[in-house]
Amino acid sequence: MIWLANAAERQALIDSLPEAALVADDLPLRANLSVLENIAIVPQYRQNLSYQDAADRAWALLARLGQTGCALKRDPDLSCVERFTAKLLRAVIQQPPIILIDRPALLLPDIHYPPFLEATLQALAGDCEDFRILDYAWNAPLYAPR
Amino acid sequence: MVSPASFYKIAGGIGVRHARIIYHWVMATPQQFLTRVGSSTLGWLQAWGRVLGFGARVLVETFTPAVYNSASRSVVLKQIYFTAWQILPGFLLFAALLSYVIIQIVVTTARNYGLSDFALEVSVRVVVLETLPLLTALFIALRSGAAINTEVALMNINNEIRALEDAGVDPMRFEFIPRVIGGAISVYTLTLLSCILALILAYVAVYGLQPWSLPDFSRVIARIFTPTAFLTLTLKSLLFGLAVTLIPIRAGLEAPRMMFFAPIAVLRGMVRLFFVIMFIEVASLALVYM
Repeated sequence: MIWLANAAERQALIDSLPEAALVADDLPLRANLSVLENIAIVPQYRQNLSYQDAADRAWALLARLGQTGCALKRDPDLSCVERFTAKLLRAVIQQPPIILIDRPALLLPDIHYPPFLEATLQALAGDCEDFRILDYAWNAPLYAPR
Repeated sequence: MVSPASFYKIAGGIGVRHARIIYHWVMATPQQFLTRVGSSTLGWLQAWGRVLGFGARVLVETFTPAVYNSASRSVVLKQIYFTAWQILPGFLLFAALLSYVIIQIVVTTARNYGLSDFALEVSVRVVVLETLPLLTALFIALRSGAAINTEVALMNINNEIRALEDAGVDPMRFEFIPRVIGGAISVYTLTLLSCILALILAYVAVYGLQPWSLPDFSRVIARIFTPTAFLTLTLKSLLFGLAVTLIPIRAGLEAPRMMFFAPIAVLRGMVRLFFVIMFIEVASLALVYM
C-alpha cells in the first residue's frame, strides 16, 4: 500500500517508477476490442505470438480470476469489476517488475474494493512479484488492519 | 468603435468564441489583419507539413519488416474486410450499373455523330482510366475514411492511444500503419475489380454477346493501356488508397483531447481528404493528357 496526500505526490510517484505497469482509470481499454483481445494484444504484439497462443494465455488469466464470462464483451458492456479485471490482466500479461494500481476507488466505485483487491491480487501472486496500490490517505479506514 | 461586449451581444446566436474571432477580424488594424493572415497561413502550412511528415513516416515503416507481427497482420486483414470485402457485392453492382450507363451514353452519342470507331476507346478512357478510380476513392473516403477519422479522434480523446503505449504496444505500428496498408490494398483491389468489370461491359455494349471481336477489342485496349497510362492508373489508385486512410488518421490524431473537438476533427479530415483526392486526380490527368 502506498498512501498519498495529494495529486502531485501521486504523479511524482508514478513518474519515479517508469518500469511499472499502471492500472488506472485514465488508461482505458481499446473500445473496439473485446476483453480477451485487449489482453491478448500485448503478447501478440510484443512477443509476436499467434492470436491463438496469446488468447490462450489471456483466457488462462481470466479463468484464474473466474472472469471468463466477460472475455468476449467490449468496454461499454463491462461492469466496473470486469473492466478492472481486464485492465489488471493487461498489465499482468506484460510481466512487469511492478504493477501500480492507481486510485482503486476510481476503478471500482460500486464495491467495497479492499477485500476484492486482496483476493484478486492473491490469485495472481505468481504472475507479478510486486503489486502496489496507490490510494489517498483518507481512504485508509476502508482497508482492514493487517 | 463597437466594444467587444456589445458585439458579442449582437452576435449572440453564434456563440462567444466565434463572435470573438469575427470581432478581432472585423476590428483589426491593417497590421493586425496581415499578422493574422500570416499566422493562419503558417498554421495551414504546418498542418499540411504534419500530414506529409506522417505520410513519410508511414511509408518508411511500411517497408520495415518489424512492423509485420501477428497483431498488425490481423489489423490489416480486418481493415481489408471492413473496407473492401464487406461492400464488395454492392459496390461492384453500383460500379457495373454506372459504367454501363456511361458506356451506353458514349457509344450512342458516338454512333449519332458517325464516330462508332472511337466509341470503345473513348468509353474505356472515360470509365476505366478516370471515373472508376475516382469514384472508388470517394466511396471509400466517405465510408471508411470518415469512420477511421472518427475512431482515431475518439481513441485520442479517450486516451486509448496512451493506454496502448503504456502497455508496450506502439499505436503507430499496431493501429495506424496496418490500417493504411489495408486501406491502400482495398482501394487498389476495388478499383482493379471494377475496371475489369467495366471492360467486360464495354465489350458487351460495343460488340454484343459474342466472342468473335476479341482481337479487335484487344488491339484497342493495348492502344489505351500504354505503359505510362497503366503506371499512372496503378500509382493513382495506390495514392488514393494511401490518402483515404492516412489523412483521416492524421486528422484524428490532431484532435485536442476534448469531446466536442471530435466532429471538428472529422470535418477537417474529410475536407483535406477531398482536396487531396482531387489534387491526385488533376495531377494524373495532367500527366497523361498534357
